[in-house]
Amino acid sequence: MQTARAEIPIGRHPLHERRDVLLLVGPAVAYLLVFSIFPLLYSLTISFFKWDQIRSRFEFYGLGNFTDLVADPVFWQATVNTALMTGLGVTIQVILGTALALFFNLHLRGSWFVRGVLVLPMLLTPIVVGLMWRALFNPDWGMINYILGELGLPEPLWLGDPSIALWSLTLVDSWQWTPFVMVIVFARLQALPRDVFEASQVDGAGRLATLTRVTLPLLAPAIVFAAMFRAIDAFRSFDVVFGLTYGGPGRYTTTLSFYAWENGFTFQRYGYASAMAYVMVIVASIGLTLLVRYASLRREDAT
Amino acid sequence: MIARRLERALAYVTLVIIAIIGFAPFVILLILSFKTRLGVLEVPPTLDFDPAVIIKNYSDVIFDRGFLRYTINSMIVTSVAVGIAIILGTPTAYAFSRLKFRGRDRWATTILSLRFMPPVAVAIPILLMMRTIGLDNTYPGLIVPYVAFTLPLTIWILIGFFDEIPRELDDAALVDGCTRIGVLRRVMLPLVRPGVIVAAIFGAIFIWNEFLVGLYLINSQTLKTIPLGAAGLISAQRPIDWNVAATVGIVTIIPIFLFSLFIQRYIVRGITAGAVR
Repeated sequence: MQTARAEIPIGRHPLHERRDVLLLVGPAVAYLLVFSIFPLLYSLTISFFKWDQIRSRFEFYGLGNFTDLVADPVFWQATVNTALMTGLGVTIQVILGTALALFFNLHLRGSWFVRGVLVLPMLLTPIVVGLMWRALFNPDWGMINYILGELGLPEPLWLGDPSIALWSLTLVDSWQWTPFVMVIVFARLQALPRDVFEASQVDGAGRLATLTRVTLPLLAPAIVFAAMFRAIDAFRSFDVVFGLTYGGPGRYTTTLSFYAWENGFTFQRYGYASAMAYVMVIVASIGLTLLVRYASLRREDAT
Repeated sequence: MIARRLERALAYVTLVIIAIIGFAPFVILLILSFKTRLGVLEVPPTLDFDPAVIIKNYSDVIFDRGFLRYTINSMIVTSVAVGIAIILGTPTAYAFSRLKFRGRDRWATTILSLRFMPPVAVAIPILLMMRTIGLDNTYPGLIVPYVAFTLPLTIWILIGFFDEIPRELDDAALVDGCTRIGVLRRVMLPLVRPGVIVAAIFGAIFIWNEFLVGLYLINSQTLKTIPLGAAGLISAQRPIDWNVAATVGIVTIIPIFLFSLFIQRYIVRGITAGAVR
């Protein structure tokens, strides 16, 4: 009895504790309830309605929006585009980002400065990034095709050719976000104990063996984390599409976010757009659950 | 020995190549921004710049096309929204880090998941809500949803920083008769300042670049933020004047570039706050 009472410090009456929680957490939670969670539920509700343009009001439509979605070829094309862009992009970003992190781990003189430059794209406004790359990709006077031409290489229509446009979009997304992977992996590299590498070298392991058997496995958690983080973000890409290709040519670079936005804001099909956004919310939630589970697994590993 | 030196030299060559690739897009953009509308079409670009053209491009973008106004708007919206998010988020993060209460874990996960929600899923309701309360096309109309967007990230980053502060400090202060709020104000706030800076930086980056929700909330020229202003170049029905577009690029990149010089080490802290713990 005595010990149990001693565990509650003076002035920490349970009642005070409850009041404190309310005071500390209350405002933020209330704010999120009103301006985040309520809108999310609102969109869920709208997804069962259809906006009647003539009478300018919502009509109940049941699961109609969702069945329309399944029958909409553009929705499926957007799904494929989004999946390709996410899958390809994350793969490129992980490989390049890890390679860059390993390279910067050589700590060459002046590399901190180059690293600073490489991080810059990640901070830029995606709309401006899109505009910038439209200029670089320009088939008539863009620098990229000029250099390719000088080298005697083919000069593709980066944004005009249906079979290439999605690649170009992925390339720009990777230019902007490879540094994100690089920063995470690089930080992890700095945190690794040096003696592991020394031991491996003493054991006579070649550098390639050290890389594949020691370094990469140690980096794996950071890489997986970065990849999942990026995947969830790439999945909802919108701005860069708007800035670079506006979903075209045709529908070849239309992502789910872009198509949902078009439906909601350009075509005033609020219900349909909300249904599509909700499909995205569900997919993102699955991704997030995996991420959280992975993170908590790691925390248990660490302790 | 020779092999080793060669390797070193090769590594430096690689570094230079990476640096060139990293810089090139910005340099090309800068060159394009020094050209006339037709001068852009020259390939390879000539490097004889006319100061009058440069001045014309930049004054056109900064003043006539309103990018000074857009930059000021972005600063107002970003600083107010980040300020509110920090004021709301810091106590919340402290409570999540220190106190036990019912539904804590569920709320923590919900808040994290809000950070990953596709903005398009809330864009329509937010537009309708802001119209209903008459805040569309005003600064608060942007600030209110932007706080909601950054609050989860702010809370999440700050929880990480509070977790790093030893609990013994709280307990000592509580035993000395401090209230919880007092502990937060007098003991924790000075210690968690780096976390507040990191959270503010990441909130600011997000808000500065936000586009999807702002696009339909704001329609008057005098209230547009930078991304909304830049989008005006794209949605215009006529072809883009590329010298102007390039100048817009440079004008909007410069503040971010200056900002990045000061926040370099915080960027790393912020990104890894969740990853390496």
